[in-house]
Amino acid sequence: MIFDPYTCRKDFPILNRILPNGKPLVYLDNSATTQKPSCVIDAMSRYYLEYNSNVHRAVHTLSSEATNAYEGAREMIADWFGLTDGNLLFTSGTTEAINLVAHSWGRANLSKGDVIVLTEMEHHSDIVPWQMLAEETGVELRWVPFDKENFQLDMAAFEMSLEDAKLVCCIHTSNVLGIRNPVEEIISLAHNVGARVLIDAAQAAPHDRIGISELGADFVAVSAHKMSGPTGIGALFVNAETLTEMKPFLGGGDMIREVFLDHSTYQEGSFKFEAGTPKIAEAIGWAEAVKWLSNIGFESSHSHSIKLAQKVADAFRNIPGMTVLGRQDNDDAPLISFIHDSLHAADMAQMLDAHGIAIRTGHHCAQPLLRSLGLTSTNRASFYLYNTEEEADFLIETVQKLVERFS
Amino acid sequence: MCKEFGTGNWPPALQEIIDEFSEIEDQMERLEILFDYSEEIDELPPAEWSESTIVHGCQSEAHIKVTFSQESGFHLIGAADAKLVQGLMAVTSIGLEGLSLEEVVNFSPDFASEMGLMNILSPSRANGFRNMLHKIQEDTKNLKE
Ligand SMILES: Cc1ncc(COP(=O)(O)O)c(C=O)c1O
Repeated sequence: MIFDPYTCRKDFPILNRILPNGKPLVYLDNSATTQKPSCVIDAMSRYYLEYNSNVHRAVHTLSSEATNAYEGAREMIADWFGLTDGNLLFTSGTTEAINLVAHSWGRANLSKGDVIVLTEMEHHSDIVPWQMLAEETGVELRWVPFDKENFQLDMAAFEMSLEDAKLVCCIHTSNVLGIRNPVEEIISLAHNVGARVLIDAAQAAPHDRIGISELGADFVAVSAHKMSGPTGIGALFVNAETLTEMKPFLGGGDMIREVFLDHSTYQEGSFKFEAGTPKIAEAIGWAEAVKWLSNIGFESSHSHSIKLAQKVADAFRNIPGMTVLGRQDNDDAPLISFIHDSLHAADMAQMLDAHGIAIRTGHHCAQPLLRSLGLTSTNRASFYLYNTEEEADFLIETVQKLVERFS
Repeated sequence: MCKEFGTGNWPPALQEIIDEFSEIEDQMERLEILFDYSEEIDELPPAEWSESTIVHGCQSEAHIKVTFSQESGFHLIGAADAKLVQGLMAVTSIGLEGLSLEEVVNFSPDFASEMGLMNILSPSRANGFRNMLHKIQEDTKNLKE
């Protein structure tokens, strides 16, 4: 299957939008969230228009259809990510998935004297839940630094920090640097000392099928909305053994087997962690996204978006006063963070918006990472399969023009 | 006598700026002019930025200091690391220059939308602008006391 961004764009009516200022939209904030193809939106509205009903509960036709679609979605998504053994728990996204681990596994298995190892690169959603847990239980948080020149994790420091570690939390691909960490090595070193491993794969999932069972992490968290799927849904993948160590988090319908006035018994597997009416339309939409990705030639789309990001990064490196974070030859994820000496990130983003170009500016929910580089904010342009070379060129030209005029 | 400044009744120097902005159709051109206005403020040097000058709830770092004298009235000193923020601050300072304390405290924020800025600034920046004016007015109340 040959990948063609121009064909694939046709599935995204939003990309033809003319903004209120008269400029055509150039959407380069894909690491925050991607656009959704029409088929995803259609699949969700078809559910509401034709077979909306609650799942797992009734014997009527609509409920069977909805249950089949919902559980079918779980299977398709698990398949996409190479989950051959273990469980897919639906959550509202990466953030909820990590919080679920902190509540369900952390509170049941960690106590004072235990250590959680994390990296300085983490997103706030993989920092704050652990700080909250540490405050409550007295577990120690240990931070692994990274090299400020080549942005590699300090693996020697990582190995040293593993003493008494019960859990290692690591971002798979950085949402600021676009760099993939050596997660295979991290998982293997952590398992050697008997620690569990959580991988935040929010920025990996859009560009990589991950191969979750082969990777061997105990927990993997992803969000659908960063990979053509709807907002409001994501997943926590948990291997079978680790799942048995987790206590239920939210109590209510769907997660129980039997309820008595003095006690309740729980479902087995993922259901135990999915209380209440689940995100039915969202799961169906996410599965449709995965189907769409398989049909458009996902594997070859990565080199296309990487090429665009590299072209922009190379051009930006030639602009006087511009710093591009990340490695020069980086082909891990198609996103680049950049910052100019004398044109403030917020001004740059506002002026790009006046040209129709949407990028992200700020701390990217990674304040410790930025602080460690002596920064408070950067601009970030992130590409996805539907972006074109013309859009990359337009970004380059516009940034060059703005720097010339305003710095 | 205290005047209530607001729509239809702005200080002449501010009215002139509002007219200048409302004649422009192009969003980028508006930002360009706002950027150039950032030079028009009595700048608070970074060495004097402190917890008492900072405008909280602003995406970029912004600082203001209010002063008043019987002879020349109200005067705003300020700076921001983002020039568009400093430009808006400068326009505000031109509007408030020489007013009485009472007039500053009652000054309407509507001039920013009349300049066509509120719909081009992102919600967080628009919010930052309101926080800035609020701090100016709160600090001015404290001057009075
Ligand atoms: C690396 C990383 N982790 C976690 C998240 C949080 O994802 P969500 O907001 O979908 O829960 C994001 C998204 O911004 C991210 O980039």
